[in-house]
Amino acid sequence: MHELSMAQAIVDTVLDAAKKNNAEEIVEVTIEIGMLTMLNPEQLTFLLDVLAEGTLLENAKIIIEDVPVEINCRNCQYTGLANTDDSDHYLAIVLCPQCGGRDVETLTGKECAVKKIKIEKSDEDA
Amino acid sequence: MHKIAEVEVQHDIMVANRKLARKNQRLFDKNHVFSVDVVGAIGSGKTSLIEALIDAMNYKIGVIAGDVISKYDAGRFENHDVPVVGLNTGKECHLDAHLVEHALHDLPLDEIDILFIENVGNLICPVDFDLGSHMRMVVISVTEGDDTVEKHPLIFQDADLVVINKVDLADAVGADSDKMVNDVKEINPDVQVIKTSLKTGTGFDEVTLAIDGFINDY
Repeated sequence: MHELSMAQAIVDTVLDAAKKNNAEEIVEVTIEIGMLTMLNPEQLTFLLDVLAEGTLLENAKIIIEDVPVEINCRNCQYTGLANTDDSDHYLAIVLCPQCGGRDVETLTGKECAVKKIKIEKSDEDA
Repeated sequence: MHKIAEVEVQHDIMVANRKLARKNQRLFDKNHVFSVDVVGAIGSGKTSLIEALIDAMNYKIGVIAGDVISKYDAGRFENHDVPVVGLNTGKECHLDAHLVEHALHDLPLDEIDILFIENVGNLICPVDFDLGSHMRMVVISVTEGDDTVEKHPLIFQDADLVVINKVDLADAVGADSDKMVNDVKEINPDVQVIKTSLKTGTGFDEVTLAIDGFINDY
């Protein structure tokens, strides 16, 4: 269960960005989670709620966007979206959709990123 | 008056770990240290395997012993007279590049040829965290059940070497070790899979040869 350390890193990142931009409140946070990470979005959201308490992040809406898996196949040189077994998000096995091969380089799908935040700030500060 | 502003942050926490991992690798390379991330299930024999490798391999070896409470394993390695740093992860289920970076400050890297980094016993969380090591060895054993591989495919996808240990107990626990080998091959067709028993010595020489091979290619 490393959602806690990831959630803490996300909260730190968000609060840091908010401070730098003189935010008085954080309204919305958009987080990107790659489909190949071993992170459970529900656990992550729960922990973000816990960690946000008493901070500028307390009332923010958390949006989690899944990042699909893109690959470069070493066998047939296909580049693009991978075939993943989406019956279980956490056990996605990456396959080349063109040749069915598994010898692929993963280009996307391992993200855990704070993409953007929406903040409220005083007008004089603009 | 208040207004709403949108701020692009674009900060990837995984990228931050990967950057630190590359930094670790540069430090290894600078000191000519070949590093092996040893991951695997709880009780699969990671510590015993590293102990046997320390005794058998003709290299100067160092160990980072990562565990929720690391003093037990660290103590075992110290008995082999090698430099050891214990890394307590506390509540965390994996090592990350940052923790390893700290441990590297406490090791005499210029006196080490191979550094084994024993990760926390876990087949899930370490997948997400590159430590900067040159190879990743995954250690499982038949006693975890012969469906272990298919239940945890991602850790095998990035493995450079897979050890299936305790094969002498396969019959006793009703596990099919060939199935485990085939399951690994299904996920990672090119990886070398070695069946071992550290108790009887089965397969152990193959493990030392395989690691030697990686060192020679390095």
